Amino acid sequence: MRRHIVLVSIVLSVSALAYATTYLGALGPLGFDTRLLAKLFLVYAYNPGAPELTVMSPEAVTSIVWDFRGVDTLYETVVFYMAIVAALAIYRGIGYSSSGVRGAGLSLIVRVVTKILIPMNVAIAVSIAAHGHLTPGGGFQAGAALAVVSVLLAVVFSALSFGKLGVSLARAVALRSAGLLTIAAVVLAPVAFGVATGIRGFLMQNYVKLDSPLAFPTHVSGQLISGTLIWLNLAEFFAVSFGFFVIFMLLSLREDVVREQLGEEHEH
Amino acid sequence: MIEEVVRYAGLAMLVAGGFINLVGAVGLIRFRNFYLRLHAATVSTIGGTFYPLLGLALISLSTPELGEWRFFMGGSLLTAAFILLMLAPAGSHALARATHRASVARPEPVIADHLEEDRGG
Repeated sequence: MRRHIVLVSIVLSVSALAYATTYLGALGPLGFDTRLLAKLFLVYAYNPGAPELTVMSPEAVTSIVWDFRGVDTLYETVVFYMAIVAALAIYRGIGYSSSGVRGAGLSLIVRVVTKILIPMNVAIAVSIAAHGHLTPGGGFQAGAALAVVSVLLAVVFSALSFGKLGVSLARAVALRSAGLLTIAAVVLAPVAFGVATGIRGFLMQNYVKLDSPLAFPTHVSGQLISGTLIWLNLAEFFAVSFGFFVIFMLLSLREDVVREQLGEEHEH
Repeated sequence: MIEEVVRYAGLAMLVAGGFINLVGAVGLIRFRNFYLRLHAATVSTIGGTFYPLLGLALISLSTPELGEWRFFMGGSLLTAAFILLMLAPAGSHALARATHRASVARPEPVIADHLEEDRGG
């Protein structure tokens, strides 16, 4: 009986709220300013007619993420970087040794299916990153897609497979740092070029501004690459995917191995 | 003519997928132990997702109003259906195997357990 009362009251309150918000207009008229802001972003995302305002990317979300509010995204990347630095600091001194680890992985069926799946996964991730300025997606999403590969490797083929494939913690950290350095280089390039030539250049500048003629190339042999966006997406792809690789490699360490190495450390 | 036939075949697959999903959901609630429920879940994934994806591929391929994009849509749907057909059994197999090895879900009554017999249990 109580369940029926709960059910009836949920249905009644949801329908009352739906009626109030749609037919009675309880939320008031839709804000005009919100619509105006959305229209501005849509109009200027790809607009060769207004070169000093446009991003030259038909993907409005990527335009906002990497240009209109690019510095925000830059700091988000730095926060992610710091999280991985913290994880590495917690696990400091704990090697990824394979001694005493016997790993056969899951059954043959799962291993064969995963072997077919992993190349598809890598291809999709690269495609999401390289088309980030044209279709929904981008560097972070592509990095998350590639990070799935590390989980699959650890679960299906055991954590030993990282060593067999030549993916070590040091290499993953190096590749992630290379991605971050590329982002920094793309962000600083207009300023450095401006300082060298005496032309005014801005941080994260993508296309010409009213008082600065500097611009990244927007097309390569007829293909739209949207200036900085493709480079930032590809660099973010490396930074995020190998950052996740580091995290998942650390998480797939066996507990007894970690405890053993920690115990040795405490005895010193 | 042939387009109509293909489209209605696709629609039939969509409707069949919806029905199979309903059956799978009922089975997931009503079945007694883990392995039977896993079977119901697999019925939903294969019958309730693979067939509708195939049906959608047929519908999009038989819609000339979509222009060349219908091949793009149909191809994507067929690829997704193929990947699903490959992954869903592997996933349920891994779940069932791990559960059996860890002996965490003992079905009652056990009529035949060939896996246990093979292991000499």
